Amino acid sequence: MNYTRQEMMAIATGREIRDGELAIFGVGLSMLAGFFAIAHHAPNVRAMTEGGIYGATPIGGLPWGIECNRISANATSFTSGLDALGCLVASGRCDIGIIGAAQVDRFGNVNTTGIWGGEIGAHYGPPKTRLTGSGGANDIAVGCKRYLIMASHEKKRFVERVDYISSPGYLDGGNARAAYGFVGGGPSAIITTLGILRPDLLSKEFFLEAYFAFSSVDEILADTGWNLRVSPTVSIVAEPSDAELLALRSVDVTGMLRRAA
Amino acid sequence: MTTHTRNKLIPLADAVRRFAFSGMQYASGAALPVGSDAIAFGRELVRQSVGDLHAIFHANTQQLNLLCAVGAVAKAECGFTGLEGFGFANGLRRSVESGQVVLEDYSNLAMAVRLLAGAMNWPFAPATVNIGSDVERRSAFAPNEYPAQSKIPIIQDPFTGRPLGAFSPLKPDLAAIHVPLADPAGNAIMLGTEWSRFELSRAAKRVILIADCIVDTACMRQFPNLVRIPDLLVEAVVWWPFTAWPQASPGVYDGDEAHMKLMNQMLGSEDGTREYVERFVTPAGQRESYLELIGAETIARLSAGPTAFLLDPYRRWLLPDATVRELEAANTDKSERLAA
Repeated sequence: MNYTRQEMMAIATGREIRDGELAIFGVGLSMLAGFFAIAHHAPNVRAMTEGGIYGATPIGGLPWGIECNRISANATSFTSGLDALGCLVASGRCDIGIIGAAQVDRFGNVNTTGIWGGEIGAHYGPPKTRLTGSGGANDIAVGCKRYLIMASHEKKRFVERVDYISSPGYLDGGNARAAYGFVGGGPSAIITTLGILRPDLLSKEFFLEAYFAFSSVDEILADTGWNLRVSPTVSIVAEPSDAELLALRSVDVTGMLRRAA
Repeated sequence: MTTHTRNKLIPLADAVRRFAFSGMQYASGAALPVGSDAIAFGRELVRQSVGDLHAIFHANTQQLNLLCAVGAVAKAECGFTGLEGFGFANGLRRSVESGQVVLEDYSNLAMAVRLLAGAMNWPFAPATVNIGSDVERRSAFAPNEYPAQSKIPIIQDPFTGRPLGAFSPLKPDLAAIHVPLADPAGNAIMLGTEWSRFELSRAAKRVILIADCIVDTACMRQFPNLVRIPDLLVEAVVWWPFTAWPQASPGVYDGDEAHMKLMNQMLGSEDGTREYVERFVTPAGQRESYLELIGAETIARLSAGPTAFLLDPYRRWLLPDATVRELEAANTDKSERLAA
C-alpha cells in the first residue's frame, strides 16, 4: 500500500466535493480534503474559512488556524465571522461543509465539546475531558446544504449516543431534524479511516455503504459502537489513483497525513 | 502635514489600571486562536492581579488560556475553546475540568450574533443555530435546568411559525481590541479577518485598542473605508509591538510556533504556569523588556512572514517610535504611576 489510512480518508472526502461548489473548510483534515479536491477535480470550488477569508490557497503547509498567515497571504477578501458563518452559511448559500468529530453516533450527531463517559444526567457538571467546543461546526451543521463528517474509526468514537450533541446530525432520526426547519439538509456521509457511512433515507440511521481496500466489513463492525447495518450492495472504495495521491501530497506538503497514526 | 486629532495614547499598565477591574465582564478582540488577539493586555492583567473575570471570548486564545491557568477567570462564554492546529488549550482545559472556570458554550456564529445584538441594543437576536443541540439544552450557568430555558429560549417566528433560538445580547464592561494599525486618536485599520472586532467595538461599554503600530491620522484619511473602528468609540490607545505574540498578526508578524507549543505545554500544570508567569509575564511589563524576551532574531524572522506585503501601503504613515513615546508620555498618569 503506497498511501496511509488518513490519506484514503482525505481522498474519499474530497471525492464528495463537486466542482463549482461554495465550500467551507475548518482547519486540519477537512482543509486538506477540501484543497485536495480543488487541486484534483474541482478547480472552481469557492472555498472559505469560518474567519471570512476568501479566495485564498494555503502556502507553506497546512494552516495552524482559520486565520493563520498561511491562509492569509493570498486572500482576495477578508471579512468577518458574522459574514462567513452568517451571510454565507446560515443564509443557506453554502453547498458543502466538512467537520470533524471526537464522537459520532448512529444518527450522525457530533460531539466535540467534552467526554463525560456516558449520559450527563439532569445536572450539567464539568466533563472528565474538555474538548474544543463547537466552533463553527454547529453553524455549518445547520446551515450548509449538506456536510461531511470525518472521524477516525474507533469504537470509543462511534457510539450509540454521543455524550453531548455539539453539532446536530439527524438528532433522534426520522423527522426529528426536520422539526427544527434548518436551512441545511444534514450530514450526507461519515467518512472514516475505514470506510464510508451514509444515512438511510427514512430512518436517517447511518449504514455502511463501502469500505476501503485495506479494511473489511468485519473490522468496521468490530470498531463501531452501535449495531451498524451494512448495505446489501456494500462495496470496496476505489483506491487512490496516482493523480489523486499527487494532488493530495501537493496540498499536504508537511506530510501530516503520512505520519504514523 | 501631520493631522493628529485627540491623542489617546497611554502606557499599557495605565490602561489596565484605569479601565480594568476584578469581576468585570472582559472581552478580548479579535479572540482568534492562532491570530489576532490583545494578548499583551492579558499579560498585564496577570501582572496587576486582576481576577474573578467573566471572560467573553468569541474563541479561545493563548490569552484566555493564560488567564484561566493562573486562576483569573471565574466564568467564560466562548464559541470555541481549543487552539486549532496547536491542539487543546491546556490551561483552559484544566480549569474547566476542575470546575474552577464555569464555561458556557455557544457556536462561533452565536457569539458574533450576540455581540451584534449588544451593539444594536436589541433585546435578543433570533437565529437558527445551536437549537436542537446540547449547546441550547445544556447551560453551565444554570446547571440544574434541563433542558435549559434561560440560555437560548426557543421562540416562534411570528411570520412562519418555525422555531428560533433567542440569543441574549453581549455588552462586556471592557473590550481590549488588538489591531495592527491605530492612530493616536483611536481610528483603527485591521489586516486579515476582522473576526468580530466590528461588532465587539460597538457592543462593549468601553473599548481600548492595543496596536502593533501607530500611524499618522493622515493614513486614516487616505483609507477611510478601511477604518472599521472609528475613534469616537475608543477610550484609549496602547502601543505595544507584537501584541498578539506568540500568535500572528497578519501583515505585521507570523505566529511563533515554538512558543505557541511551549506556552501551551507550560500552562498544562500549576508548576508550569507559575514558571511561565515568572519567565514570560512578570519580567515583560515594559515594551523593551518584552521585545528582549521575544528576542531580536525571532522578531526579525516573524516580521518577514508571507503576509508582510499587506503592511506595505501603510508603512509611509508609521509614526517614529520617539513620536509615539512623546504622545504617550503626555498622557501618562503620573499620580497613578507613583501610587503603584
